[in-house]
Amino acid sequence: MRSGTLGIQDPAPSVPQPISSTSRVGRSLSNPRTGDRGDIGRGQMWGRRTGALLRVRGLWPAGVLGRRPLSCSAASLAGNSSPQCWNCGGPGSHMRGDGFFCPQCRALQPPDPTRDYFSLLDCNRAFRVDTAKLQTRYQELQRLVHPDFFSQRSQTEKDFSEKHSTLVNDAYKTLLAPLSRGLYLLKLHGVEIPEGTDYEMDRQFLMEIMEINEKLAEAQSEAAMKEIESIVRAKQKELTDNVSRAFEQDDLEKAKEMLTKMRYFSNVEEKIKLKKIPF
Amino acid sequence: MAAAGAGRLRRAASALLLRSPRLPTRELSAPARLYHKKVVDHYENPRNVGSLDKTSKNVGTGLVGAPACGDVMKLQIQVDEKGKIVDARFKTFGCGSAIASSSLATEWVKGKTVEEALTIKNTDIAKELCLPPVKLHCSKSVLVPVKEIILLLP
Repeated sequence: MRSGTLGIQDPAPSVPQPISSTSRVGRSLSNPRTGDRGDIGRGQMWGRRTGALLRVRGLWPAGVLGRRPLSCSAASLAGNSSPQCWNCGGPGSHMRGDGFFCPQCRALQPPDPTRDYFSLLDCNRAFRVDTAKLQTRYQELQRLVHPDFFSQRSQTEKDFSEKHSTLVNDAYKTLLAPLSRGLYLLKLHGVEIPEGTDYEMDRQFLMEIMEINEKLAEAQSEAAMKEIESIVRAKQKELTDNVSRAFEQDDLEKAKEMLTKMRYFSNVEEKIKLKKIPF
Repeated sequence: MAAAGAGRLRRAASALLLRSPRLPTRELSAPARLYHKKVVDHYENPRNVGSLDKTSKNVGTGLVGAPACGDVMKLQIQVDEKGKIVDARFKTFGCGSAIASSSLATEWVKGKTVEEALTIKNTDIAKELCLPPVKLHCSKSVLVPVKEIILLLP
């Protein structure tokens, strides 16, 4: 018998088939955590068991086909800890290239979990952002990674594309609104707003929030609602400016206090939006 | 080729699951099974919503906020000369658990003396409403104005 070629007589089918649990060959290959069966190209259809069988019989070469399938399951599991391209084994995209595609084979790489939203959307890590530039960059990125552009590609790339697209959406949504942007920036600096009672918020401010909420609950006319909306908007703008200044002065505590106040107003804004929806 | 079809079908199904839209975050539209029915009951049939005359010397007013979620609660308690709580009202703007906690607190303090009211523990409230761990802070928050009011009353 010839060795090392597809002409070998063996129980596995000679035509590549998608691996399913009914096939003896495929069972050992699925990732137990995600059920991911990995890319079905490149000799994996033969399966480890067949390879082991043939190795024992001295028929399976130790070379290319005998290689352990480190590739996709490991890559999709570990994110980007492996610097190599999962597809061609070449140097990963983080050394060169745009961070998405392998510079050698152009295969889509898994998202980098260590990359923050500012870096992803090509912004300085600051509170002030150019929202127009943000939107342009968002659209550029989606044109690169959106699943619609990967319908003909391998399952691995489809999965990566979905992760990328979701990440880009989250990043854009977070950085677009001042409140979420500020909170995210605080988080990057290791400051989080704790769950629980607000012992520090001054009573005057809480009364103000209470009164605005009560006014909104009682508002019957569109004019009344518009008035409340403009009050809240003015407050938010003032607070946004305060947050911006606090970050510029590196005063994270002040930024935290201002962002907390913004949160209370933001809840009112949400309620206004809900109230506007006709039932 | 049946094996091929099965494999493709399985992959399509798992892709669909991954792509299913997230539920909206508006808590008002959350399915009721995510809230215990006691919480839903307080939300739909709130007891003691309203205000008392804050200028009266027998009425104490307490306010508390929750910074992470932006909830705000106001509690008012009216006490008679013997130190018994004769009336209580609340107004809360926030999630269902916050509303239920404040509603329950006003129910419980009514008819108690101020000493008895101070013994109410947040764990009692949380247990009564079957609050999930993420909402335990609501039960703690509501007792803050209760204590504040009682301790400040003449």
